[in-house]
Amino acid sequence: MSEYKYPIVKSFVTELQRIFRDPGVVVIFIVATLAYPLIYKALYWNEQINDVPVAVVDLSNSPESRAFLHQWNASPDIRLTHSCTSMAEAEQLLRNQKVHGIIYFPHDFERQLADPLGKAHISLYCDMSSFLYMKAIYLSCNQVMLESMRNIQIDRYEQMGMDKEFAWALVQDAPYSETALFTPTGGYGSFLIPAVLMLILHQTLLFGICMLGGTAREENDENYSFASLIGRAGACFLIYFGLAAILLGFFPRLFGIPHIGAIDDILLLIVPYLLAIIFFSLCVSVFIRNRESGLVLLISTSLIFLFMAGISWPKEMIPAAWRYLSYFIPYTWGAHAFIHINSMGASLLHTNGFAASAATEWIALWILAAFYFIMASGLFYIRKKRVLENK
Amino acid sequence: MKIILQNIWRVLLRELKMMFARPLYLFASVGVMLLSTFFFLTLMKGGAAEKMPMAVVDLDQTTISRRLIHEMQATPSVDIQLITNSYPEARQAMQNGKIYGIFVIREGFYRDLVSFKRPQIDFYVTNAYTVGGNTTYKQMLTMANLVSGAFQREVLRKKGLTDDVIMHRIQPLAIEGHMVANPWGNYSIYLVSTILPGILGLICLMLTIFAIGFELKARTSHAWLRAAGGNYTIAMIGKLIPYTLIYLILGIGCHLILYRFVGFPVYGSTGRLMFGLLLFILAMEALGITMIGLLPTLRDALSIGALYSMLGFSLSGFTYPQMAMLPPVKALSYLEPLRHYYLIYVNEALMAAPVENSLPNALALTAFMLASLCVAPRLHRALVYWNYPLK
Repeated sequence: MSEYKYPIVKSFVTELQRIFRDPGVVVIFIVATLAYPLIYKALYWNEQINDVPVAVVDLSNSPESRAFLHQWNASPDIRLTHSCTSMAEAEQLLRNQKVHGIIYFPHDFERQLADPLGKAHISLYCDMSSFLYMKAIYLSCNQVMLESMRNIQIDRYEQMGMDKEFAWALVQDAPYSETALFTPTGGYGSFLIPAVLMLILHQTLLFGICMLGGTAREENDENYSFASLIGRAGACFLIYFGLAAILLGFFPRLFGIPHIGAIDDILLLIVPYLLAIIFFSLCVSVFIRNRESGLVLLISTSLIFLFMAGISWPKEMIPAAWRYLSYFIPYTWGAHAFIHINSMGASLLHTNGFAASAATEWIALWILAAFYFIMASGLFYIRKKRVLENK
Repeated sequence: MKIILQNIWRVLLRELKMMFARPLYLFASVGVMLLSTFFFLTLMKGGAAEKMPMAVVDLDQTTISRRLIHEMQATPSVDIQLITNSYPEARQAMQNGKIYGIFVIREGFYRDLVSFKRPQIDFYVTNAYTVGGNTTYKQMLTMANLVSGAFQREVLRKKGLTDDVIMHRIQPLAIEGHMVANPWGNYSIYLVSTILPGILGLICLMLTIFAIGFELKARTSHAWLRAAGGNYTIAMIGKLIPYTLIYLILGIGCHLILYRFVGFPVYGSTGRLMFGLLLFILAMEALGITMIGLLPTLRDALSIGALYSMLGFSLSGFTYPQMAMLPPVKALSYLEPLRHYYLIYVNEALMAAPVENSLPNALALTAFMLASLCVAPRLHRALVYWNYPLK
């Protein structure tokens, strides 16, 4: 090994050899990192949930209720699959999961609409076993309700003696337009996959580095010199820079996941993100005794990191203690930065009137990288002394 | 018979010694489960997204626009954190992840409203954060409709109508939403009910693989079989008894915490739900045996086990419903024990469905247990001949 003049270069090359000669690490670093995004894309292939089956209980059996149902059935979100004569029958269908919603028109529905002072009610029952059922049923029904309501209002104003045009203007006095910015499809995959891509990078690096550390410890091949720290980090960085560029830059463009960010911004984001994860993982790996124990112990952190970052559950609703803790996890900053840049068009290099700056998260990642670099140096130093004592 | 019991006892004692010699076993089971339970139960505060930050772009700046802002601020679901007269500023705040929605009141809104020129309200949401985006969207939609209602009320008042009469003209039709089995729309109940059992299953799977695989890796399997008098069945029973007890106690504890202590609702039978959870735990343990039996190299079995069980969280269909998945993915979801536990949970806890609805899922979980018997000859050979790659 004396052919390397500098110990850093030596440990860099040694680490690359150790990674590629270890099928276990190759599986985690390369196979899992590339396969997982494909699996998740296949899983969430249909962005929207369509044709949620709904049962109808129409006790009024009136032209008005039929018109309402006809209009609702036209929406792609739901499909009216069963017509029931009683609530009990519909509840039975819901209980057996044949339908995920029930719409109920009471007897007096038509009468209340015809009465100029009446108020008609529709009852809507949503299956809460998945929140996406409720979203599909409730929002589409609400839309139809608002439209029908306007027609009824116009009729009633006309009955009061207003002329039709005035009634129409009054009802439509403040029309609105709604726009989903950045991710117009609003699908589940568009929302989750960017966050999952960042999590895959984070967790495969963590598990892989712990496996490398545990293996070295099992084989009494530990090297806790400063040169080794830099060399090992460098080897992981080299491999992961390529992988991250594929996952974050190429993958969303290939599979139609939102990608309005600039490539150079994404590459720029990758640098501190990877450094922070690598030094964080090197810190953790010092405590890992066996090749496999890292995976067994840390597998559930994947879910904890995901939720703690405040992506599926809004960060504003996370108790302060967990939020502060989350600031120490590179994933928290990395995931938000990537979503801001990739999915919402924020930027690092091209900030102007249109693109906000994602600099806060970027700087936080650099601070974390520096923090964990110092921590790792310290832990390596302590561990080195311990290993020498044991010898 | 006495000899069999003696052998089981000997294996069991050996296992207990190993278990307490390595902190990993207890930490990865009891420690991880306690931490996860504490984490997920404290993460979501009340379980409803409240005070989601949003922005109002007030270009009108009249009494009516200010009243609108005031009324919106009074609602529990949103918190107006930014009032500005610059749309780009609001858009940038959204790109920075500071707000989830933008409500725009155009210039001349009040003037146009009173002169029946139908001024438009625009609102924008982000779908990059799904819960925050949805909550804000619903509130802005309600608000846009309220504006219309409030103005109609003013006009009708001037025409000399009483408030009572007016209300029925403005709101002739209403939807009463009912969220079946989770009337509070509590996100925590929805999420934690499946995610915590899922984590417990993950622990069972990984630790079972580890406990058996480590004997293979450390080449201690001969000593293990010797303790069992050379009998594979006795060796497995003795080894798995302590772990199974730990898993079952953790399962019962988790169940009691969720449904007794925290008070998540169960509309069907708590006994059957708990039975379902115990079946699920045993199925995950059996799946662990199957995996190490098929892949006797510890590292391979653990990597596959991790991949398989992490996918279970998505494939179970509790977030993204199974009905929206592609057919091959749908088929795959039945191979995840968590999918079956989730369905039992829906039947028992939410739908109070007849027991025969859960029967296929209970049978499927039992099938996972029986499947682990099929790998017995292969695993036995591996224990005896060490015929697998070591690293």
